[in-house]
Amino acid sequence: MFAFLKTTFLGLTRSSRVTGSLQNQLKLLVAGMKTYEEPPDYSGVVLPERPKLKFINKVPNFKKAKKEMKKLRDIRGPAQTANTFARGQYGIVALGGGYLHWGHIEMMRLTINRRIDPRTTFARWRVNAPYKPITRKGLGQRMGGGKGAIDHYVTPVRCGRMVLELGGRCEFGEVEPILTEVAKKLPFPAKVVSRESLAAMYQEERERELNNQNPWTFQRVVSTNMLGIRKVLSPFDLRHNGKYVGKFRLPGRV
Amino acid sequence: MATTLCSRAVQKLGWLPCTQSVRHGSKSVTRHRKPVHFLKQKLMALTQYIPPQPAVSERCIIPPSKQVQEESGLTRLLKREVEALFRDNKMVAVFQNNAVTAEDMLQLKHRLMKHGIAVKFYPNQVARSYLSDSKYSNLLPLFIGQNVLLVSREPKVKEMLQTLRTMPHIILLGACVEDALLSRQGVLNYSKLPSLAVIQGEVVGGLSLMTSQTASLLQHHPLQLSRLLQQYVKQQSEGDGGETEGAEAR
Repeated sequence: MFAFLKTTFLGLTRSSRVTGSLQNQLKLLVAGMKTYEEPPDYSGVVLPERPKLKFINKVPNFKKAKKEMKKLRDIRGPAQTANTFARGQYGIVALGGGYLHWGHIEMMRLTINRRIDPRTTFARWRVNAPYKPITRKGLGQRMGGGKGAIDHYVTPVRCGRMVLELGGRCEFGEVEPILTEVAKKLPFPAKVVSRESLAAMYQEERERELNNQNPWTFQRVVSTNMLGIRKVLSPFDLRHNGKYVGKFRLPGRV
Repeated sequence: MATTLCSRAVQKLGWLPCTQSVRHGSKSVTRHRKPVHFLKQKLMALTQYIPPQPAVSERCIIPPSKQVQEESGLTRLLKREVEALFRDNKMVAVFQNNAVTAEDMLQLKHRLMKHGIAVKFYPNQVARSYLSDSKYSNLLPLFIGQNVLLVSREPKVKEMLQTLRTMPHIILLGACVEDALLSRQGVLNYSKLPSLAVIQGEVVGGLSLMTSQTASLLQHHPLQLSRLLQQYVKQQSEGDGGETEGAEAR
């Protein structure tokens, strides 16, 4: 009887030992040499009082709204104002011209206010509230009969202008997905940039201009009006050196 | 005169080409990409960007820059530990460990601790950086791959090898015993050496061999001694005779 008990006991222990060694494998910790980078120092960063994006009105508060001409020249060419960073570290820069209406602005505001943590990041607008009135005629109306009524307001955006800025105690990797989500939905091509990447972009452009091996540049041919080419070009082509066509920016043009 | 003045003023402001195309289908800023005039297409094609192309590519000339990483605090600490290890312990043996389980390692540590041997793990990077600067630079080839250091203050090679006989997957690579670098074979030979007392006894015996032999000879029976001397004299005379005969024959 004791022999029987002994065999069963041994058998149980043996099986448990085998399963134990397979299942609860203790982790053998060996000292590895992964060295980590120091986390960034945010001691100098001050967050503003209201970190989220401000609500923007659909309609500017005029006493009397005036109808305006189309003036598509506010889309044409590169942006001269608001094309650098002001307070934030990361932002969205427009790579083409277009009009932002209230729908786009609300989308941006809601997405960013939902996604950012107000304790660590803040966001700022770099575009104005819609101020340009766009008129529309009623459905089915024939040509003529005066200009249509004001339908909605838009903000014109030129190529190279900053649309939004983000800053605070955050890194580019945290902020990039939020901004790309917004940038994809804008009516013009837009890019998510940080201060360094924007500076690098402009630097690269200047370097390309300098190390271009082609002796014939657009600027040289058009400013001297070789072959009377200005007959088929507009004065804006001279100004923009062939980099812009209407509201589009042609990438790769030097 | 007024007209000439006006025309001169206009000329100074700017100029417009003599002929301008009047017919155009759409405005200048459109949502679609406008069809481009053929001459402008030609101009755009002519004035494209051409990147610089050196005769020999940059990649062939410029060597890839090796980023020299600064030693972190942890590396420095471990280096100091390794230095202390080599200083304090007389025996430092390097073993290769192939997939030793945690239980086996625990048991091994326990068994070795009884003999006063410690089991140490150090990253190869740290060990190599220390060894390359110290006098133990010949140990560098051992520190490649997974290894364990077995260290002890006293050189207890025999006990160490006995405990590790049951573990075929921990393989001896080499050791530094009392500032002498030994290979695997060297360590095995070292383990087979008898203890210090025995060796000292052997050396003493070897030194005093001649005196002990003479002592034993003198302690023989005087008859035996006289017979030995007679034999010696005979041999001497035979030897002399043989030499003289040899000299005469020449």
